[in-house]
Amino acid sequence: MSTILTHIAIADGKIKRSSLEVLSHCKQLADQGGHSVEAVVVDSNASSFVEGIQKYGASKVYVVEDPIFKNHMNTPLLKALVKVMESANPSVFAFASTESTKDILGALAANQNAAVLPDVSSFELMDGGVKAKRPVMAAKIISNTQAKGDTVLVSVRSGSYDLAENETSAEVVNVDFCMEDSELQAILKEIISASGDTIDLNEAESIVAAGRGVKDEEGQKLISELAQVLNAGIGASRALTEAGIYDPSLQIGQTGKVVSPQLYIAVGISGAIQHVAGMANSKVIVAINKDPDAPIFEISDYGIVGDLYKVLPPFIEELKKIKN
Amino acid sequence: MKFYVCIKMVPDVNAPLQIKDGQLIQDADRQILNAYDASAVEEALVLKEKHGGEVEVVCIGSAKASETIRKALAMGADKATHIVASGDENFDSGSYARILAKFFEDKEYDVLSLGKQAQDTDAGLTGSMVAAMLSLPYTTNAVGLKAQDGKLIVKRQGDTGQEMIELPTPCAVTCSNDMNEPRIPNLKGIMASKRKPMEQVELSSLDLSEDELTASTTVLGYEEKPEREAGKKFEGEADEIAREVAQLLDTEANVI
Ligand SMILES: Cc1cc2nc3c(=O)[nH]c(=O)nc-3n(C[C@H](O)[C@H](O)[C@H](O)COP(=O)(O)OP(=O)(O)OC[C@H]3O[C@@H](n4cnc5c(N)ncnc54)[C@H](O)[C@@H]3O)c2cc1C
Repeated sequence: MSTILTHIAIADGKIKRSSLEVLSHCKQLADQGGHSVEAVVVDSNASSFVEGIQKYGASKVYVVEDPIFKNHMNTPLLKALVKVMESANPSVFAFASTESTKDILGALAANQNAAVLPDVSSFELMDGGVKAKRPVMAAKIISNTQAKGDTVLVSVRSGSYDLAENETSAEVVNVDFCMEDSELQAILKEIISASGDTIDLNEAESIVAAGRGVKDEEGQKLISELAQVLNAGIGASRALTEAGIYDPSLQIGQTGKVVSPQLYIAVGISGAIQHVAGMANSKVIVAINKDPDAPIFEISDYGIVGDLYKVLPPFIEELKKIKN
Repeated sequence: MKFYVCIKMVPDVNAPLQIKDGQLIQDADRQILNAYDASAVEEALVLKEKHGGEVEVVCIGSAKASETIRKALAMGADKATHIVASGDENFDSGSYARILAKFFEDKEYDVLSLGKQAQDTDAGLTGSMVAAMLSLPYTTNAVGLKAQDGKLIVKRQGDTGQEMIELPTPCAVTCSNDMNEPRIPNLKGIMASKRKPMEQVELSSLDLSEDELTASTTVLGYEEKPEREAGKKFEGEADEIAREVAQLLDTEANVI
């Protein structure tokens, strides 16, 4: 029997759904192979998340709590994870593939001499390691990759697995942590644009994404209205984040976020492969575009050929009716 | 400031791809400078223009990779080191990182920069691996760089917003391609690149054991992504088709 450790990510004071997806999958793998599944949460308020983690089947929860974790910084996070790995001695350590994970995964692997499979869309255990599917070449194809080693780190794209509740009374292990200022290699000076009250795209059930077709404030207002009716997160193509119209953290695609909501509505987006790389795993895709030959229609379940300024008002109106 | 920028030659992801018996078939002539690395080169050049210093590129690759190195020199890098590998070693991020760490072990520099990921594998590990191996302060996914009082100020894209990070030098940073538009070499740059020093280093001279070069990950094969089928397309009166699709999302797709 070996241990599968999962990292529970916290952002904006909430557990990231994507890390519970990973925990749900690991619980299943552990049950199948007779392994144990454990979790680690590192945050300034870590103990408050234990209950939320226990719902998903971990048998042990490592809690590392220190004010230093209020914002992401790689040195303290690495130190905390190394410490937990030394006590848990996991054969697999699984993460949700967030920006914070991407910041530390390679360093942690190097530090622990572990094999590592980043950004996988699925993985399973095999003798002496892990087998995974990874979208590569701008997510145009899938590579079947295996990693061998005493410890394998894996990060998993959001939306790859469904949540599965599995209440347990996990043992809670509080891990002592202290870090001298002199150990801090980098200093966090400022956080410039927090997404604040907008809905986290990695967690959103629905996403309304705006592209270059959304030309002015009137268009942006329609996007907001549509998002509001659906309680959806707002995303954007690079054309609009580069133009400064939407915050860079809202960019979806190869260089932005990889999302997989139940419903993705692409408004005035052409469907360039770099954009599609970030949203092709959405369950249902709706595209609104005035060009009947736009590539986005090739991957859309429902394609509306038309001018977004004419389509969106009746669309929003009808959705409001349905919602009521 | 002395910049080392690590660059990689990668297959052009926009070139047609084919999978035959699990192998990836690509046009060998369409190999390019990794776009994220090009941004790292560009950013180093901009900082050099502002504060002075030197930009040297380092590339691990086959003989053919010299084309990619010339491109970076033509953009304006001052010199280059080509760590010659035959090209069929099946290195993974860990092998690349160990080679780079060995190479940089006895070098002096202010900033070691890399692209945040390679466009072919999209792994995004090498930068933070090298930093960890060299015990350098580092940050990843930079969307802006500034030099100030001997420190590097990095704007990076995090999960909840953009973080401003101050790094003492020497340090390492990985660059997103959102930060700039890499310059396209002009004729003068291309001519000049031919006279710039390009040192070749044999992999064997770096004193790495077989073990250190061996990848811990192996690609077993490639497969097509399950195709998404194009669904229904609605054309006609905006009012009508908008209402119809809204209804279908509720009754057929069940996502409202
Ligand atoms: C290395 C690299 C990485 C990249 N990473 C990303 C990434 O992460 N995310 C990303 O999005 N892009 C990325 N890009 C850019 C990408 O290639 C495209 O340029 C970008 O996605 C285009 O955005 P768009 O679809 O909004 O704009 P366009 O391609 O200009 O498309 C606009 C669409 O709107 C339609 N339209 C116009 N007016 C209307 C109207 N009134 N009503 C309805 N439809 C209308 C048009 O028919 C058109 O199809 C990357 C590019 C490179 C080279």
